Amino acid sequence: MYDLRLWLSKKGSLKYVSHLDMFRLMQRAVRRAGIPLWYTEGFNPHPYISFLLALSLGIEGEGEPVDLRIVGEMTPEEVRERLNAVLPRGLSVVAAAPPQDKPAAIAFGRYDVYLDPAQISGAELQDVLAGGGLTCQKSGKSGHKKIMKTVDVSAQLREWQIEEKDGSLLLHVVLPAGSTVNLNPLQLLEAVSEKRGAPVYACSAVRTALLKADGKEFR
Amino acid sequence: MDKKLERILPRVQKPARYIGGELNSVVKDKEKIGLRYAFCFPDSYEIGMSHLGIKILYAIANSREDTWCERVFAPWPDMEEQMRQNGILLYGLESGDPIRDFDMIGFTLQYELCYTNVLNMLDLAGLPVFAKDRTALSPIVMGGGPCVCNPEPIAPFFDLFSLGDGEEVNNELMDLYLEHKKRGSDKQAFLADAAKIPGVYVPSLYNVSYHADGTVGAVTPAGGAPETVTKRVVRDLDKVAYPESFVVPFIDVVHDRVTHEIFRGCIRGCRFCQACFLNRPIREKSPETINEQCKVLCRNTGYDEISLCSLSSSDYSRIEELLNLLLDWTPQEKINVALPSLRVDNFSDELLQKLKKVRRSGLTFAPEAGTQRLRDVINKNVTEEEMLKTANIAFSGGYCAVKLYFMLGLPTETDEDVEGIGLLAKKVVDAFYTNPDRPAGRGVQVSISASSFVPKPFTPFQWEPQATAEELQEKQQHLKETLPSRKISVSFHDIETSCLEGVFARGDRRLADVIYRAWKQGCTFDSWGDFFKYDVWMRCFADAGLDPAFYANRRRAFSEVLPWDHLNYGVSRRYLEREAQKAMRAETTPNCKQGCAGCGANKLNGGHCDV
Ligand code: SF4
Ligand code: SF4
Repeated sequence: MYDLRLWLSKKGSLKYVSHLDMFRLMQRAVRRAGIPLWYTEGFNPHPYISFLLALSLGIEGEGEPVDLRIVGEMTPEEVRERLNAVLPRGLSVVAAAPPQDKPAAIAFGRYDVYLDPAQISGAELQDVLAGGGLTCQKSGKSGHKKIMKTVDVSAQLREWQIEEKDGSLLLHVVLPAGSTVNLNPLQLLEAVSEKRGAPVYACSAVRTALLKADGKEFR
Repeated sequence: MDKKLERILPRVQKPARYIGGELNSVVKDKEKIGLRYAFCFPDSYEIGMSHLGIKILYAIANSREDTWCERVFAPWPDMEEQMRQNGILLYGLESGDPIRDFDMIGFTLQYELCYTNVLNMLDLAGLPVFAKDRTALSPIVMGGGPCVCNPEPIAPFFDLFSLGDGEEVNNELMDLYLEHKKRGSDKQAFLADAAKIPGVYVPSLYNVSYHADGTVGAVTPAGGAPETVTKRVVRDLDKVAYPESFVVPFIDVVHDRVTHEIFRGCIRGCRFCQACFLNRPIREKSPETINEQCKVLCRNTGYDEISLCSLSSSDYSRIEELLNLLLDWTPQEKINVALPSLRVDNFSDELLQKLKKVRRSGLTFAPEAGTQRLRDVINKNVTEEEMLKTANIAFSGGYCAVKLYFMLGLPTETDEDVEGIGLLAKKVVDAFYTNPDRPAGRGVQVSISASSFVPKPFTPFQWEPQATAEELQEKQQHLKETLPSRKISVSFHDIETSCLEGVFARGDRRLADVIYRAWKQGCTFDSWGDFFKYDVWMRCFADAGLDPAFYANRRRAFSEVLPWDHLNYGVSRRYLEREAQKAMRAETTPNCKQGCAGCGANKLNGGHCDV
């Protein structure tokens, strides 16, 4: 028995499949692929599959970590191949290796956000991001009640880069991700839209990597 | 994915309903396809994806090289709004192409309250809702499913209906269509030929006349269409095509598992039960076939649950054999086998022991009526004694919750029958507390679910008046007031939706006007309480000059021509009349295993029933 960390690429319309649904999807994929997983004990046993970090609806991922517990000898390479043979289009395992870092070590997500230059210019985006005072509304809980909270976006925003080429606008940005603070690029764009008083939509947004507190890649 | 779609998906609930691309969904090269088929389910994705029929017909159509069949569900109102605002036409989930350009559009009609959704989907597709306004050969709009046994209220919207089992006739229709397409025929020529295929009903070829009192005078066929259309029956369930894989949805749907139909029809003949009579004659699939098909399906889907869904699964004559086969491999693979509708009177101790090996679901009984007299009227051959015996076995086996299904508003029902529901539930409560082997330290929970009886075509009660909304209201009140124990809870079905269902179930063609008006005034998703607009419907009846009570609450004479009399589902009118008379005398009819009651359905299967 050993623990294996898969890195999933989730592309195209699969970005509309929620975190909860991904779990069920993997459960079935693993069955179809015939991968011997360790099952929890109890009356309703289920296989041990753990998505380390949710990916918000509408965002693609290039390497989303999922932990499995394998019983027996099947190699990581075979697990990867078998899964790739049964996963739906848009989803694939790009790497499989024993975990190096603890899940709690995830601190940031690195994103590529493609924007429509007709909506906003690179220069304006730079000004808005650097100008401070960005906020957005996030739903949260107070006791059992759902409430809306205002989040200080500028305080979370430390590192970004704007790239303009062939008439497209690309924002590289690092945002907090993990079990405590979380901000996704769609929320960032909401804050930008709010600040400038005109909407900016993402043509697409991709999480390209997860980082630890020291800025090194989570593995 | 389409750019416009990409824009709106982030703004709707559960966008994964609209993206396609699920595992096992079929994508083909459209250049190599002669016939594009849109299989439409006029309700939400979650409901539609749970339906077995659509999976079967999807697999059959896609097994043809010349055909590409796609799925289409009713967009939820938030999505509909976005689609209309952004000029997105209703599209097939597999290709994303507008279904307006498809060759055939098939709707499955499972319940009457989906009718406005059919109109809405046609409109969202950019098509005229009335068949007469769609003059080109394509798309041909067809309907199938149980409601098609009386499709008159929706006849003007459809080009044709397919009666009975769809597996074979669908292929015949596709072949015929391709021939006509090649020839460059028009729609009329195709329909005239289609009407010659057994089981195909082309409503535009039948003229309906009415008497002054509003009842049907005659239904007259034209253009060589047959006098009566007889439903199609698949003779051998072991040989008929069955899918090797199901499309596995991304999102959670109502039935998200391997479902398997083990036989068609039902031996019981409860007199209110349309499903029973519509699906006769009785045909069983062999345990070996079922077992093999389940294995393949589990392998190809990754599902960890199999559910045997038939009208009364425990009546399957080789149930023990089947369970043994299934329980031979499923536990090791951690697959659960569920039998949803077990009946009281053959729920043996032995079977229960076997089922103990699998995950326990709730204990449910459907006595349907509170007194033996009324159970005799409806031919629900369940006695109190048998029920309590079964309950006791279950209590000894650790069960503490029982669900009981009843109907209110059954023919001949009195206050005493209504009170009987509570009394019967009380006996179940008492049985628990007097059972020495009951689970220690736990109480019992008996919940009653009371729906409203709706008389349906092709049942012995097709001539009966439906109880009015006021009467049903009183019955519900009476039941609540006479509940004898706190351990019993009761829940009711919405009365107003049952009333509307009753009107359309036995309606005639004139009702199409009401459906059209209601849809125009924004009625859709009528089976969803949140969206149901009873007052709008009532206004539309008034505007159309039609009285809902004429359809729902009137007793019909045997001599009356019923709007569906030109359709034949195998069960003879003579038999139904006989059963109706026996009902009034509270006389029961033995089930098919005890003896053939001569319903006539076996004629469709060479005189044979699998009993
Ligand atoms: S047992 Fe009765 S209610 Fe159930 S399916 Fe058969 S006829 Fe219908
Ligand atoms: S023909 Fe006889 S055995 Fe067959 S369904 Fe009818 S009553 Fe039952």
